[in-house]
Amino acid sequence: MIGRFIKKTLTAAALAYAGLFVVFYYDLDGKLLYYVVEPFMKKHFDNMERRDPHSVPYMQIEEEYM
Amino acid sequence: MKKPDLSKLKNIDFKKAARDFIYGKPHEERRLGDLYIPGTGLYKHREWRGIKDTVYYFNNIWLYNYGNIVADLFRYSGGNPKVLIQFLKGTLRYRWMGQTYLTVLHWFDRGLEGLRGEPLKASAWHYRALVSASLSQIVGMFMRDTNIGGDPELRAKTMGHDETVWGGIFYPYKDQMENIPLQMIPYFVTCHCNNHTVLNYIDSIQSLGLPGDPCPMCQAESGLYVEDDMPDFYPAYITTNEACDGSVATSIITDWLAQKPLYAMPQPMQFDDETVLENCAKEMEGAWRFIEEKLGVEFHWDELVKNLEAQNELMRFEWEKWDVDANTPYYPINGVAQALYRIFQSQYGERWIWHEVDSKVRKIMEKCVEERIETFPKTRHRVIAWSCAPLYYSNWCTWAYNCWGLNVVINMDSLMFDMEIRTDSYENTLMDMAKYHELAPMRRNAVGGLHHIFMLWENMEKFNCDMVAMYDQLQCKGMQGVVGLFEDEFRARGINAFWVPHALPDKRTVPRSEIRQIINDYMFTVMGEEPLDPTLLDFDDSDSW
Repeated sequence: MIGRFIKKTLTAAALAYAGLFVVFYYDLDGKLLYYVVEPFMKKHFDNMERRDPHSVPYMQIEEEYM
Repeated sequence: MKKPDLSKLKNIDFKKAARDFIYGKPHEERRLGDLYIPGTGLYKHREWRGIKDTVYYFNNIWLYNYGNIVADLFRYSGGNPKVLIQFLKGTLRYRWMGQTYLTVLHWFDRGLEGLRGEPLKASAWHYRALVSASLSQIVGMFMRDTNIGGDPELRAKTMGHDETVWGGIFYPYKDQMENIPLQMIPYFVTCHCNNHTVLNYIDSIQSLGLPGDPCPMCQAESGLYVEDDMPDFYPAYITTNEACDGSVATSIITDWLAQKPLYAMPQPMQFDDETVLENCAKEMEGAWRFIEEKLGVEFHWDELVKNLEAQNELMRFEWEKWDVDANTPYYPINGVAQALYRIFQSQYGERWIWHEVDSKVRKIMEKCVEERIETFPKTRHRVIAWSCAPLYYSNWCTWAYNCWGLNVVINMDSLMFDMEIRTDSYENTLMDMAKYHELAPMRRNAVGGLHHIFMLWENMEKFNCDMVAMYDQLQCKGMQGVVGLFEDEFRARGINAFWVPHALPDKRTVPRSEIRQIINDYMFTVMGEEPLDPTLLDFDDSDSW
């Protein structure tokens, strides 16, 4: 029972390691980030509502400077 | 059924193929340019460096750093599981985080291209330190940021400051508070890691009517506030006029949009004058009073001494590194790793990660010296890079070595802050800290007076260089003023030098391909040399990170 568990765990670990090496070698992390994640995030940030800088008064805060 | 064409197999030298697989291809046969997907900077596949170095890269760089990014989140938050939520919120709230830093492993790839053996290891350790130090700031900001539900109590004990304010100013209070640079992570490091995002901030400030020609560093730093992309992690902050008066303008816009108390701590331009040093020390004491008043902390002399001594230790090792770099071919750190590590470490100040990495690098460097390992064996020219570098192409020197055998052994920004600080009395310590503060980037050698910028000649000799890569920041009015003087000096002294024009963070002004073309032209026409790897002469990385 324990032997089978260890064998399965080691096999899974070996497969995960091999899978990660494929991701690394073929730059799949880079491709995912470049073609999918970054365009999605860019769109997200482009559509984000932001404060209008002109709404911030230009004035000196009391005791602001030393 | 069609028979497979086996004729191609007949021409394969299996012995050589096996050797290349095991040990990696010789430099001249690597054809690194063929690995790129045009336009993107992505790789069709990452470089095969031989079994040993590829496995090292996969395990000790790629996996190790992805893993340590997660570990660092917990390390810098004191094991607080809330950090995961704050990190996610920050990633979705700030463009400089969500669009930039996820691509961090490609930053390693670009800087470490072509490296083998000990230089691969030592340079990668420097990158590891850069990432860890960046994460200390990212976690610090997000755990305190009230825009995303950060802890107001932590925020109340945090001082923000311009990235060009030396972190050592805060040493007397390190046991009671945290200091986090305002722009080092949202601006400076983004340009190296993924230069897409900084363009938004430059465009933002120009959308308010600022002309396009001021220093783009100052533009981008101001643009962070215009774009409302600055975390609210600090109740007050300290500004400075470093690198130049353009930074004063940054402070004015920051002051408008941050709406927080600030202390302006100038760094003198002509810093050789001793009376200026005294004034600088007084300004520093003023900053200490400001910190004490705004954060309710006390000056702890022992804390100051402890941190300064630790920083002095880093300085002494840097000098050891420079000695090996200057006088032997056994220095295991490439140009970009040397430059980025040194500027980040000396500017940000004392942190545990620098010591951890230095101890690893020391072992590697000592091995290289003891075993006489020639670390960059294809070096044709020892290059000193002078003035400030293109942030969007800081890894140009990796390319220059792979393509032409140009080994950038030292750069101007590494040489700033080159002093130990005495800790034997308050007066001596204060004066030394003021001096250190004056020897900041772009002040030590650039806009601090003509004889300082001309320290190029003595450093060229000290580091045994036979060529100069002269950066030409097209929007730096100070450095533009000395272009002709350098031209005259290069001619008069018979020095081989090429110019590297750029606009600091903005790749649109001088694209990376244009920088490469200028160097290619120089190497072909003036030096009459042929490239080591012709596939790197011309390739399209126009939209890469």
